[in-house]
Amino acid sequence: MSAAASESQDIETVTTAVSTNPGRRGQPDNKTRRYDRQLRLWAATGQAALESSRILVIGASATSTSILKNLVLPGIGHFTILDHHSVTPEDAGNNFFLEGPKSIGKRRADEAVRLLAELNDSVEGRADHRNVEEVLNSNPQYFLEFNVVIAHNMQPALVDKLAKYLWSEPSHPIMMVVRSAGFVSEFFIQFHEHSIIESHSETTPSLRIDKPFPELHAHAMSIDFEKMDPTEHAHVPYVVILVSALEDWKKSHGGNPPKTYAEKQQFKKRIQGMRRKPDEENFEEAEAQAYRAWTETTVPSEISALFKDSGLSSLTPSSPPFFQLLSALQKFTQESPHTLPLTSTLPDMRSDTKSYIHLQTLYKRQAEEEKAKFKSLISEDVRETIGDEMIDLFVKNAHALVVMRGREWGSFDQDRAALAMDPSGKETAKLATHLAFSALSSLTLQHQTPTVAALKAEVERIAGTDVELPEEQLDAAVGEVARAPTADLPNMAAFLGGMVAQETIKMITRQYVPQKGYLVIDMVDMWTGAVGA
Amino acid sequence: MSARYTHARAILGPEMSERLPETKVLLVGAGGIGCELLKNLVLAGFGQITLLDLDTIDLSNLNRQFLFRKKDVKKSKAMTAAQTAGPFNPNVHLHPIHGNIKDPQFDMEWFRGFDIVLNALDNLDARRHVNKMCMATQVPLVESGTAGYLGQVQPLLKDRTECFDCISKPTPKTFPVCTIRSTPSQPIHCIVWAKSYLLGQLFGEDEDAGGELDEAEKQGENAQEIATLRKEAQAFKAVRSALRSKDKSSNAAKMAFEKVFNSDIRNLLSMSDMWRSRAPPVPLDFDAVKKGTFVLRGISATGPATNGSAKGNSNGHAATNGQSGASGSGLKDQRALSLQENLALFVSSTERLAARLRAGEETILFDKDDDDTLDFVTAAANLRSAAYGIAGKSRWEIKEMAGNIIPAIATTNAIVAGLIVLQAMHLLKKSYNTLRNIHLQFKPTMPLSAVMISPPNMSCGICRNTYTSVQCDPTRVTLGEVVKGILDGSEREVSVYEAQRVLSDPDWDDNNERTLESLSVTRGKFLTIVDEEGEVATVEVGICSLPANHSGGPLILPSPLPDPPRKVKVTVPPPSTPPKKRAAPDDEEVTELEPAMKRLKTNGTAEPNLYTPSKKRRLEDDGLVLLEAPNEKVEDDDIIEVD
Repeated sequence: MSAAASESQDIETVTTAVSTNPGRRGQPDNKTRRYDRQLRLWAATGQAALESSRILVIGASATSTSILKNLVLPGIGHFTILDHHSVTPEDAGNNFFLEGPKSIGKRRADEAVRLLAELNDSVEGRADHRNVEEVLNSNPQYFLEFNVVIAHNMQPALVDKLAKYLWSEPSHPIMMVVRSAGFVSEFFIQFHEHSIIESHSETTPSLRIDKPFPELHAHAMSIDFEKMDPTEHAHVPYVVILVSALEDWKKSHGGNPPKTYAEKQQFKKRIQGMRRKPDEENFEEAEAQAYRAWTETTVPSEISALFKDSGLSSLTPSSPPFFQLLSALQKFTQESPHTLPLTSTLPDMRSDTKSYIHLQTLYKRQAEEEKAKFKSLISEDVRETIGDEMIDLFVKNAHALVVMRGREWGSFDQDRAALAMDPSGKETAKLATHLAFSALSSLTLQHQTPTVAALKAEVERIAGTDVELPEEQLDAAVGEVARAPTADLPNMAAFLGGMVAQETIKMITRQYVPQKGYLVIDMVDMWTGAVGA
Repeated sequence: MSARYTHARAILGPEMSERLPETKVLLVGAGGIGCELLKNLVLAGFGQITLLDLDTIDLSNLNRQFLFRKKDVKKSKAMTAAQTAGPFNPNVHLHPIHGNIKDPQFDMEWFRGFDIVLNALDNLDARRHVNKMCMATQVPLVESGTAGYLGQVQPLLKDRTECFDCISKPTPKTFPVCTIRSTPSQPIHCIVWAKSYLLGQLFGEDEDAGGELDEAEKQGENAQEIATLRKEAQAFKAVRSALRSKDKSSNAAKMAFEKVFNSDIRNLLSMSDMWRSRAPPVPLDFDAVKKGTFVLRGISATGPATNGSAKGNSNGHAATNGQSGASGSGLKDQRALSLQENLALFVSSTERLAARLRAGEETILFDKDDDDTLDFVTAAANLRSAAYGIAGKSRWEIKEMAGNIIPAIATTNAIVAGLIVLQAMHLLKKSYNTLRNIHLQFKPTMPLSAVMISPPNMSCGICRNTYTSVQCDPTRVTLGEVVKGILDGSEREVSVYEAQRVLSDPDWDDNNERTLESLSVTRGKFLTIVDEEGEVATVEVGICSLPANHSGGPLILPSPLPDPPRKVKVTVPPPSTPPKKRAAPDDEEVTELEPAMKRLKTNGTAEPNLYTPSKKRRLEDDGLVLLEAPNEKVEDDDIIEVD
């Protein structure tokens, strides 16, 4: 009986298991129940990705354990804490995942792993007492056992070295570099390429009102508004009204849709004129959706930009499935009608059930046809391995695909031109804060004390003469960093733990769009912003 | 000790942080945000924390409510959270309460005992209640909520900021009775029917459902249809008694099925007028469906019910979570059930619920975490959908639609809880210029948006009133004594209300000699005194208990007595339609000033003027927009939910 199944079942079993008791058929097991509220956000695909992830966290600071807490709860597969320190009284006071005074003197990694693992018994936790520097020198391949490496307030020399190693191969784990000082903080995700099919974008795909497929066109033309009874007339779906009205319009406008503002208004008037009674809601909807008639359905610019991505130009049979599919998509759009494949999702609209279902069937049939065509464009050697499920998902989200290209840790600070370009208007505060952190790292590397004056001089050295930062903002940023260069305040740690884990989950699940560049946070003035994105 | 409180000292300054061990915090809710907040408060060194929650722990809480373990399922959230977090800082005094914040003992006196209140609630009703109590007692409040990756935090203080009720909240979606009861066209109609109507008729209180129909008739819905629905209601009596009968052979599940999916549908079909422009429903045959021989619209009962069709199919959950419903993949309660499977589920869930009645449960209400009720609603909704040619939904989808489930994750709660503590510290320090309303949003380059707080809405019916309280013995003190005492000899004409009930007006003083208790005006409630001329602000009098050692009369008036400000008179044209119910407080003037007021930004220093409550609020309070069902929990439809 599935209800008794253990929570540590893998997702495949849960997905395919079928209960044998007909009365209880369809009921979820404990694992689905435990994760119910998050499965509604990232679904079984996202959960499976989380469960196969392996995370390394360097140093069990309050921020580190807060990040881990938020990753253990939703069910990552494995985490390791690499930390050779013992618990100090300061740690015991600000880190909830140590056992207060009882933990003092014990190994920090052991204590934190023990308490974090209690949160979710299907997550595997491991403590590693070695010194990160030694591991980095003697056995860097160790880091390749993980998908994500997270480093909070790690010694600058080691961060640089580790980041460089992880950047050396695109297949190496991604790295999250987190720095915090009192009430300011920033974090950076180092990755080469990150492709997203399920970006959960809010933009909706085109309904092709302006380029109706033959069946839709024929259906709209077959509607005789004059001969309908009043009930039927008030239930013609707006899609049909618009296709029909546009066809009419084109006849008297040389085959062109409404173009100018005046024409668009005139078009809307026509729709108004088609009403029999003022309260026909379907015509109201048609008027509100009229923009669909004059907005040309093309390949969105964000998507055509992807066709220039290096992942396509260097495509080989061993390229990731995403780029195989992207290549097929490009071929698809090169043929008439030069659009993305149609999706069958028809929005809700005023209609009677019968007309709506008829319309839905038309869209479904056409979408299936176009998907078949899309499939035929995928190179044969890879079609099998990609599988139908991913192809379906790709077509469904074709209008919202995302490819992000990241940069190497530290490269932004070397790039004078980019630094000078970045601040725009009032947004210099975030650059000032980022540079204050970079200056702190750089002074630490030079074994200098981070005084306000030294930090300011270092910021100027890094930024060069082309970057102008308002004195007041620089003072504030440098002041906070100088005041508390290593302070790991519990409330900041809690907040930052949520922010960093949130982005980590987006990276692992490849759903939703994560941040790019440095995300800078100031909790004194209460703002967040991206630098070097 | 010193390292422990660095954080608090940095924000509060040395003087305030010295006072932190004595600072009294009320934390309402020990769910997702509540657990995070409790941890942060304990770490920051707040010394006196009262934690209240009425709920018990469910398995689905454990993906984020990190103070709970699997062994804690079904235990009190407040008690368990305190047990887990308490030992971390022995200097903190934790007072967990397993109770409802609306209980009478949590009156104005009780609220006055706190320096700050933090809301970590999951429903609109409780939020509005705490907001009102904080406005009445002028205790600062931080309000919060999350939904998936989104969240918000709002600091509130009477006369400084707008209150939670200054901006009307979106009203929940409602459906006409006849759509639910006889002419559904979307899956949600069938789900609402199963959850709010059928489940109640069979397993709820034995009440005459006529009230709802009377109301619908008044609203002008089809009279013939209403009459048929009345007959239908009568016939439930037989099924109800079969479900409660000890006689196992009664086969109550089949009886229920045949009534609602066969004879009721036949009755409706007899009204041929109704089906002239609609596809008529098809009565279901129990035995044929069970055997798998029933053919519905050309489809056999053993096939998935999805090709039945319909609207709403496209915008369901399938689109948002990436599950492809059609391929039948996904977690197993996400798959579509055949007609035959739905019937089996209907029978088994009905039998399970009936067994609970026989075992002594008096009434069973819908609870999304109660599998028996969820199975029943899933099966009944899908069977009805099948009869009407509407697409079926999986148990997973129905749970979300019927339970108003909002996605909830650990990360968002952690972020929001961190922000709450910051805003709370600003409020405690009285540094009102630094207060911000904060939204966690979908914007990779700017995840947080912090905006200046807005001043009170001058026509707010909650925070623009003048609040006071009396200590009294409601069994001895009369309405007249309290009102006269509060008015302090003033001769102005007033009407007096408790919530929406009129207790007296200038031409009707029959109740003045009656005791408060006989009028059900008891501890924790408010008497609302409305100026008849609309010239003076409304006074709300909170009813509190007499002090324990009190030996004098039954009433202690507040000192000083309230001095409600004169209103700035606004001339408004009379409302075009008279109110349908007896007037609610303050409705003589209806001003629609919100749009202009809403977007005024301030640093919390504005002196607001006083106007009357908005009409919209009043209509909501009267329940005029709610046609769905008498016991529908509307608060669950709030846009942003927390837990």
